[in-house]
Amino acid sequence: MIITNNPLVRSTYENAHVILFVEGNYREVLVKARDLVHGRHQLITHPLMGSLKPNETPYRSVVVSDAVLDKTDADSVLIIEEAILVFDRFIKTARTDRGEGSTEKMKEDFREIDLSLLSSALSE
Amino acid sequence: MKLELGYIPIRDIQFGPKSKVDNNTLYVNKKELSALLLEDEGIASVELDLARPGESVRITPVKDVIEPRVKVSGTGGIFPGWCAKVRTVGTGRTHVLKGAAVITTGKVVGFQEGIIDMSGEGAKYTPFSKLNSLVLIIQPKEGMLQHAYEKALRLAGLKTAEYLGKLAEHLEPEEVRTFETLSVTDGIKMYPELPRVGYVLMLQSQGLLHDTYVYGVDAKQTLPTLIGPTELMDGAIVSGNCVSACDKNTTYHHLNNPVVEDLFSEHGKTLNFVGLMITNENVYLADKERSSDRTAELCAYLGLDGVIISQEGFGNPDTDLIMNCKKIEAKGIKTVIITDEYAGQDGASQSLADADAAADAVVTGGNANMVIHLPAMDRVIGSIDQVDHIAGGWSGSLKEDGTITAELQVITGATNELGYNTLSAR
Repeated sequence: MIITNNPLVRSTYENAHVILFVEGNYREVLVKARDLVHGRHQLITHPLMGSLKPNETPYRSVVVSDAVLDKTDADSVLIIEEAILVFDRFIKTARTDRGEGSTEKMKEDFREIDLSLLSSALSE
Repeated sequence: MKLELGYIPIRDIQFGPKSKVDNNTLYVNKKELSALLLEDEGIASVELDLARPGESVRITPVKDVIEPRVKVSGTGGIFPGWCAKVRTVGTGRTHVLKGAAVITTGKVVGFQEGIIDMSGEGAKYTPFSKLNSLVLIIQPKEGMLQHAYEKALRLAGLKTAEYLGKLAEHLEPEEVRTFETLSVTDGIKMYPELPRVGYVLMLQSQGLLHDTYVYGVDAKQTLPTLIGPTELMDGAIVSGNCVSACDKNTTYHHLNNPVVEDLFSEHGKTLNFVGLMITNENVYLADKERSSDRTAELCAYLGLDGVIISQEGFGNPDTDLIMNCKKIEAKGIKTVIITDEYAGQDGASQSLADADAAADAVVTGGNANMVIHLPAMDRVIGSIDQVDHIAGGWSGSLKEDGTITAELQVITGATNELGYNTLSAR
């Protein structure tokens, strides 16, 4: 299952994967992923993928297992909780010009990078 | 595996009617080199410029930095898999134009980053300010996608470094250094009393603009493996990484890996440098498990006493770093990790996105969030308008008078996680 706020990821994968589209920011994607991880879904991709820092891109996609495990996966919990802490630390230095306030051309590039990083994982 | 590096010092760079090295000056025939680069059908235009240490010049956005080298003897050629056939390199003799560099620039994405200042405050933070550089400004044909543009830029940089390197093929080097890796059994026989040390080199491999290539192969599709340290010196590893200017390993870094050089210089004195392992930093968590398991197995198999692990990037790779560290330590092998920090502008926050008690020996390349002030430069090579949007900058970073206030992470190589820089902490 792909949790994303990136419309390009949705349009690329909506026929191939379950998509949970988040009408919200980067953090809201992480929080949705956290809820699912605590609901016994396993984290499949790293929530901080890419070298674009959490305060420097508006888009985020995270993959969790479609199946529900018998018990909560502790590693998944640690990684997603840590990712939210990292996000909150970075957003103290807010970069609106690289978030909602970025130009349409930049948003296009951010969407493309987010999609491509995700694709490199999904193609395996 | 034994390699001789012959150094030809370059103290100046000029354009001239014939490309050559004469009296420690590198002359470049603009027309000939441009024609060579324009053979790539994706490239619309090539502009060449020069930057020398101490000049009032700002280069941005920097994609890659490459050192010109040529293989004089031994198998294979420089940058195998790209400029030469895929044959094992790392033996024989290689000549190096020491003090020269090829720098590629181009706006692959709208927020393309990386600044090299040749003088002033910014020059202190980047090792590339000390090099006589040929800068390539390459524009793609209209409609070219980001990944194709990245590849065109990467190849243009490598081709140029190969072209310049060849000028040194028949020159007499001022200095020759020899680097030799013994077989595992020979190492044990020669240095039975010395601690056995290995090096795990982590390569950025997350996807578009975040890739590294080993003998032409995308590192994200590889399993950790042993590679001769001298193979790096012949360009077996090439950077395709365009994001996170301060802590990405450029191709120049791979050619001049300081961990490798230091381990060689201590080899046979304080330690036995047994081998180098490369591993990747993928997005998929199962890949992280697989790669770190494999790395730890390799270290145990080699019977190492200690391992140095260097990281590339931040966030996702922090998880790989800690997994490598934990699993290698669990085999009873001591580790030292090399990383950098995103500790906030005040330096007070936790530096990494992951941590473990096993990671109790850490070397830092500095805090990428530190705020710096850069003076205006007389000349900008590349384009300056993206500075407000780059990582570590912000709206208003670039002032009307040309000065820049931004985080250290805007500077190429400033917090390099191989330690090829001047910052650290005690």
